[in-house]
Amino acid sequence: MDQGHILEIRDLTKRFGGVTAVNSCSLALAPRKIYGLIGPNGSGKTTLFNCITGLERRDDGEVYFKAERIDGLKPHQVARRGIGRTFQMIRVFPELSALENLLVVTAEPFEVAHRKALELLQFVTLDRLQKEYAGNLSYGQQKLLEFIRVLMTDPELILLDEPAAGVNRTLLNELLAAITNLRDQGKTILIIEHDMKVVMGLCDTVFVLDYGEKIAEGPPSVIQTNERVIEAYFGR
Amino acid sequence: MKRVAPAVLVIGLLLLVLYPLMASGYEIRFMLQLFMWVALAQSWNLISGLTGYVSFGHVAFFGTGAYAAAILVTSHGWHWAPASMMGGVAAVILALIIGYPCLRLKGPYFAIATLGLNEVVRALVSYFESVTGGGSGISLPPIAATGQIYYAMGLAALAVTAAAHLIITSRVGLRFMTIREDEIAAEAMGIDTARYKLYAFLLSAFIPGVVGGLFAQDTGYIEPISVFPLLTTITMIVMVLFGGKGTIWGPVLGAVTLFVLQEMVWVRFLYLHQILFGAIIVVVVLLMPKGILGMLQERYRLPRTI
Repeated sequence: MDQGHILEIRDLTKRFGGVTAVNSCSLALAPRKIYGLIGPNGSGKTTLFNCITGLERRDDGEVYFKAERIDGLKPHQVARRGIGRTFQMIRVFPELSALENLLVVTAEPFEVAHRKALELLQFVTLDRLQKEYAGNLSYGQQKLLEFIRVLMTDPELILLDEPAAGVNRTLLNELLAAITNLRDQGKTILIIEHDMKVVMGLCDTVFVLDYGEKIAEGPPSVIQTNERVIEAYFGR
Repeated sequence: MKRVAPAVLVIGLLLLVLYPLMASGYEIRFMLQLFMWVALAQSWNLISGLTGYVSFGHVAFFGTGAYAAAILVTSHGWHWAPASMMGGVAAVILALIIGYPCLRLKGPYFAIATLGLNEVVRALVSYFESVTGGGSGISLPPIAATGQIYYAMGLAALAVTAAAHLIITSRVGLRFMTIREDEIAAEAMGIDTARYKLYAFLLSAFIPGVVGGLFAQDTGYIEPISVFPLLTTITMIVMVLFGGKGTIWGPVLGAVTLFVLQEMVWVRFLYLHQILFGAIIVVVVLLMPKGILGMLQERYRLPRTI
């Protein structure tokens, strides 16, 4: 595989019964970039995330992370290698406090982890609520907590499944700034997002899926005018 | 409060140490059984209260420990104390064998599998007559050791409560709880849930095995139906649910309250305590699903680590 890519997916296929959710899909991500993954509902975006992170077993194809094959690994093994993700439906640990949600995911010494957790909580203005059960936080707050929980493990590649949904405007701008900032620190980010404004403003490159196939790839400005993309979204 | 609690604990323990010197035989046996229930409830809490994997077969570890210890005592001439420790080891080995396949099952399927497991172990014990005596059971040589078994049982209850304290106040405990909270998210965050589940299961099997061995020596006679009753598992579950699952002191509170209550009722009305248990299950599930401590924690914002 190409040494220049941090993640490379080759001919990945995933079927559920008669439905081919991801169909012979290939993508390659270069490091230090923000990638967008868009497509109509049911086009296979989240399934692709699940296949990368090991939550679903692919039927066919290969996934390489930093030149090593990771398809077939268990989810926690993938995570330990440096791939972090958030979920479309929030998955915080509801009966752990906001702080504990962060502390539990790292093996760093307690003092170090605690300091890092407090910084992250401050960053998303949740430090006041650190002792509150995560399940008692608002939807937007849980979304942010899930986002900073990923940062706790310091992954090199971050997969975000609709990070902007349900987050208010002010906070959203900060979140987007934070994502850009992560890239500038050397992280690679792949984002599923429906809000086109967000995608166009944030991403360096956009992949478009339709019925599990990659139908387009390129900078946002080009993608916007791509005929196949318009067709997939609006029909002919 | 932070200074008072340890002081109360130390005084309480001291009184329990001196207790056999002042109590009658019946009273010692009463406390001994109370310790046994604390140890069993606390053990069940380690797997089911923390990871959320509800074990309906926990008495299998108790029975296995009882049989292992009884066989060592009668056929190999062991002293009951090391024999009971080996009972714990036997229970852990059983947990290792069944934990690996069963812990892949989720929710009700795990519960049903463990329920079936207990029936299988009981049937096996009945079947291998040459080793276990089959349906006619095993009689242990009678010895006057109630006082010593009182202390051993007390130590078992203390050890598992101390272990619960260590676990629940550490990140290991938090990792156990992430399995209960959201196993998929825990995996995606790099937590090896299969391994942590197995750790919790093995931990939760050891003390019931030890306690089973002590029970065998204390009663002097065991048979399959006396050490593998489903009711024992149910009692552990009810005690933990009543006191507060996933907490350190909930199982202790539940075991003490329900055991004392049960003895008071049982002395007067033979079968009423079973009705009482059923009623408590209904009340707890409907009105305070988090148990007494869980409810207090929520209402008064107490830390979880109680």
